[in-house]
Amino acid sequence: MSIRVLALIPVAAAISLALSAAVDAVALPLFLDTTGTILATALAGPGVGIATGVVTSAVNTLRNPTFWPFVVVQIIVALYAWAAARAGLFRSFRTAVPAGLGLGVIASVTSTPISYLVFGCTTTGGIALTTALGKALGLPPLGACFFGSFVSDFGDKAVTFALVTSVLHALPRRTAARFPWALRAIGAA
Amino acid sequence: MTGRRLHPFTLLAIAGALPALAWILPAPAGGACTAAVALVLTASRGLRRGLWPAVLTAAPFWVFLRLLHDVPTTIAIGLRITTMVASFVWLAATLAPDRLVEATVARGWSVTAAYLFAATITAVPMLRGRARRIVEAQRCRGLSPRGSLGNRLRALRALALPLVLSALHDVDERALALETRGMVSGARRTPLAPPPDSAVERAARWALLVACVAALIWRLK
Repeated sequence: MSIRVLALIPVAAAISLALSAAVDAVALPLFLDTTGTILATALAGPGVGIATGVVTSAVNTLRNPTFWPFVVVQIIVALYAWAAARAGLFRSFRTAVPAGLGLGVIASVTSTPISYLVFGCTTTGGIALTTALGKALGLPPLGACFFGSFVSDFGDKAVTFALVTSVLHALPRRTAARFPWALRAIGAA
Repeated sequence: MTGRRLHPFTLLAIAGALPALAWILPAPAGGACTAAVALVLTASRGLRRGLWPAVLTAAPFWVFLRLLHDVPTTIAIGLRITTMVASFVWLAATLAPDRLVEATVARGWSVTAAYLFAATITAVPMLRGRARRIVEAQRCRGLSPRGSLGNRLRALRALALPLVLSALHDVDERALALETRGMVSGARRTPLAPPPDSAVERAARWALLVACVAALIWRLK
């Protein structure tokens, strides 16, 4: 692992955790807590993405311990982002947003059993409320749990993919070329 | 016992074993015991740094659990979540990242993992501060973060993009700093102030591991 890539991991993890300040300012129901994982994967490959996801979860756990079991979701996100980068899906919003929506489905399918078995579907306030709404709509417990995860993840991952695409295209070519995967992710190599 | 003098690995072992036992041991008695131990540990760090953050983090879970489940299930899962929250709040209040780095270096393990953890912890408040400054600067330039969904998404892009790009520009600076400090893979480093690791603590860590495995075997029988 090169020194530059090693330096990228904590920066990318910190990006995931610091973006909440921007989200709070626009009052949108988003997390963007996988931005760093997706960005690191698109720049430097799956190993770096997985490391970023694990570090993000570990540090987030010190703030809210319930995040740790969801480290699996971060790993799935990194692998999915790697496939998206290989396919050049970060080349435009037209390809990135549908890819993000696909990740939203996969992330909610992955997080539902964790949320159900470990926390009884009570993770964070917003998700618990949508789960309660699903239950009120007559869904079975696991279905209500999936409903809660799906509502929170679907839009969030599409916005995250769009944001990463914006970043990759805004990076100067010379800077992007220093990372092994960046140009391929945007379809420029 | 505040835990400050304990070896970082012992702190991690305690914070890992308590939630594990809470999930393994039969509810609600097992969860009640582990939650009591975890809450006593957090209380030992003081009300402001220990007990209150743990209680305030765990309380919403009890409310949402009651909203979704019956009383016995709420108590069973609530005690487990309380154990997990209190253990990690205690760990966060007690574990100094620099001591963890020294401990891993002293053990001869790769310093990379400890660096990643410690560097992220220090980078987050810095980037959060920068994010707040960007929000203020963009507002001064007339950015309105309210209105329709499209407006808000455009505002989010205007706030997030400078933050992420500036953070990526820091990577080169950090890489240079790491290089000048000899942070290359495989290099053996010398710990300057390794935390003392007594035989009693090492035995206690093994005992915690054995307790978790024994409890798991007993439950699976």
